[in-house]
Amino acid sequence: MSEQVIHEVVAVRQNADYCSSCSVCSTLCPYEALSKDAETGKITLDIAKCQVCGLCYANCPASVISVLDYDLDSLVAYLERAKQEYASDTLVIMCRGSAPDIKGVEKLFGISEFIPLLVPCVGRVPDELYLRALLMGITKIDVLACDEDYCRFERGSAVTHRKITALNIILDQLGYGRDIITLKEHSLKVQVDANLCIACGNCVFYCPYDAAELKSPGGISFDLAACRGCGLCVAMCPALALELENWERERISRLIKRLSAEMKPPKVLVFRCQWASFPALDGEPSPHVRFIDLPCASRVDRFHVLEALQQGISGVMIAACSEDDCKQERASGRAQHSMAVLGERLDQIGLKERVHFCSVSPRYPGQMDSELEQFTHKIAVLGKGG
Amino acid sequence: MIVTTQKPLDEVLDFITPYTDILIAGCDGCTQPPRGLREAKTLGQLLELAGKLKNQGFNFRVTTVAKQCDNYLAASILKPQMDGVEAVLSLACGIGVQTLAGVFPEVPIFPAQNTHFMGAEEREAGILEERCAGCGDCLLAVTGGICPVARCSKGLLSGACGGSKEGKCELSPDRDCAWCLIYERLKKQGKLALLKESRPPRDYQLSGWRVTT
Repeated sequence: MSEQVIHEVVAVRQNADYCSSCSVCSTLCPYEALSKDAETGKITLDIAKCQVCGLCYANCPASVISVLDYDLDSLVAYLERAKQEYASDTLVIMCRGSAPDIKGVEKLFGISEFIPLLVPCVGRVPDELYLRALLMGITKIDVLACDEDYCRFERGSAVTHRKITALNIILDQLGYGRDIITLKEHSLKVQVDANLCIACGNCVFYCPYDAAELKSPGGISFDLAACRGCGLCVAMCPALALELENWERERISRLIKRLSAEMKPPKVLVFRCQWASFPALDGEPSPHVRFIDLPCASRVDRFHVLEALQQGISGVMIAACSEDDCKQERASGRAQHSMAVLGERLDQIGLKERVHFCSVSPRYPGQMDSELEQFTHKIAVLGKGG
Repeated sequence: MIVTTQKPLDEVLDFITPYTDILIAGCDGCTQPPRGLREAKTLGQLLELAGKLKNQGFNFRVTTVAKQCDNYLAASILKPQMDGVEAVLSLACGIGVQTLAGVFPEVPIFPAQNTHFMGAEEREAGILEERCAGCGDCLLAVTGGICPVARCSKGLLSGACGGSKEGKCELSPDRDCAWCLIYERLKKQGKLALLKESRPPRDYQLSGWRVTT
C-alpha cells in the first residue's frame, strides 16, 4: 500500500458543513489539531497533529466530529454483547493507561462482577453512552480514569471528571439517585525489588521524568509522583529488579505462552503500544496473529521478544508511536534503539528477519494494517520456526 | 568502568558446543550496562535459539555475581551452583573470567565478552571511550583532569605533537586531540603555565604487575 493510500483513511473527521464554529473542540484539543481560523472564524482539523484522543468527538455539541474506532455505535454494540456475556448490571469503563487487572478493578471499586469496557481514553466516551447503558438495564457505572497528571492525552481525565459530575446531577434530577456513576483515578507505576537491585543507576539515566534517584549509601528510590509508567527503566534494568504494575514480567511471559498456544502457524505476535494503534472492539482476530498491548513500546522487553521466539512464534512485531507522537518523552526512540541492538544479535544467529519494529499512528489505521500485512506475509514466506 | 562488548555469538557457540549443562554467570560489576541477570538470561535465550537451529539442545542455568573478579565472592556464590555444570560461560571482563578459572580449575570457563579498556560512556551517544591506561603514575592533577596517556594516540606527556588539526587527532579524525582538550581546560582554569613545565619520560616500571593492598 502506498503512503498516499494509507493516508486516505483517517481516524477523525470533521464535517465542516454542519460545524457551528463554537470552539469547544479547539479549546479541548490538547494538540492544537483543531484550530479556529483567525480570518474566517471557521474550525479546521489538521489530522497530522491529531493524536486521536477523541475528546473533540465526545464533546462536540453539534456532533460534527466522527471517529473510526470506539464511536458511540460500536461502543453500544459492544455493551449489548458484553451484557449478555458477563451477566452483570455493573459497567466499568476503564482507561487502558491505568486499568489494573480484574482483581485490581474489583478491589478499587469494591465490586465482584462487572462488564469491562476498556477504552484508549475515558475522555472520548460520549455522554450518550452513559445514558444508553442505563437504558440497557445497567444500574451502576464505575469509571476508572488516569490520575490527571498521568493522562496520556493531557486533558482526558480532567474532562471526564467534569462530565461525570454534570451527568450525576442530571441523573439525580431524573430520579436515578446520586452518584450512579462513580469516578476513580488510578495510575500504574514502577515497583522496585530492593533485594535484586544492584544499584547500577541505569534507571536514573533512562527515566525521562527524573523519578529515579540513586544515593550512595542508600540505594535506589523512585519518586512515584513523577513516574509516568512508561516502563523504559523496567525494560532496561540489568538486574531485573524493576517491575511495572500490571505489566509484570511474569505476567507477560504467561500471556505469551497462552497466546502462542491459541495461535495457528505461522504465528505472529505483536507487541503494541496501546496509543500507537487501538485494539478492535469487535471482530475475530486472525488465528495467526495475537496482540499484547503495552503502555509504551519502551516496555517491550528484549527478554520477551526472545521468549516469544522460543515459544515457537515465527515473527514478532513491535508497533510503536513515532518519536514525535510518543506520549512519553523520547521513549519510543529508546525502544527502537533497544530493538536494533537485539536485531544485531539476532542477525548473528539468522533470526533478524523475524523481529520487526515499526512506527504507526491511530490517526491512519491503514498504517498498522499495512505493516501487519507485510510482516505476516514475510513470515509466512520465511516458514515456520527458525 | 571496564569496557567490554559481547563476543560474536558463533564464537561463543563454538566454545560451548561440546557441552550441554552450562552455567551462564553474569557479573554485576564494572561494565556499562552491567552484564548481570538480564544479560545472562538474554544470552541463554539467544544461544538456545541458535542451538535449536543446529539441532543442539543446551541446558542453561543462569546466575550472577556481584563482582566476579573477587575470588572470595565468586567462590561463595558459584560453588553451591556448580553441581553437574560442565562449563561456565562468563559475562565478566577478562579479570572475572580468570578469577573463575582460578576458583574452578577443573571446569572450562569461557568468556562471552571481549574486554577493551577502562573507560567511560557518553551516555546519550552510547559511545564508550578509554579514559585510563593504568600507568601507575597519575598525571591528572597537572593535565586538567584529562589523561594524555590514555587519550593521546601517541601517549605524549608534554603537549601536542604537530599532527593536531582543529582539535582532532591526525591518526583518526573523529578522535579528539587530548592535548587540545588539556589546553582548553587549563586555559579555563587559568593554569596554562602548567604546560610550560616539561615532564621527564614516563617510568614504565610504575605501571607494575603487582601491588600490595
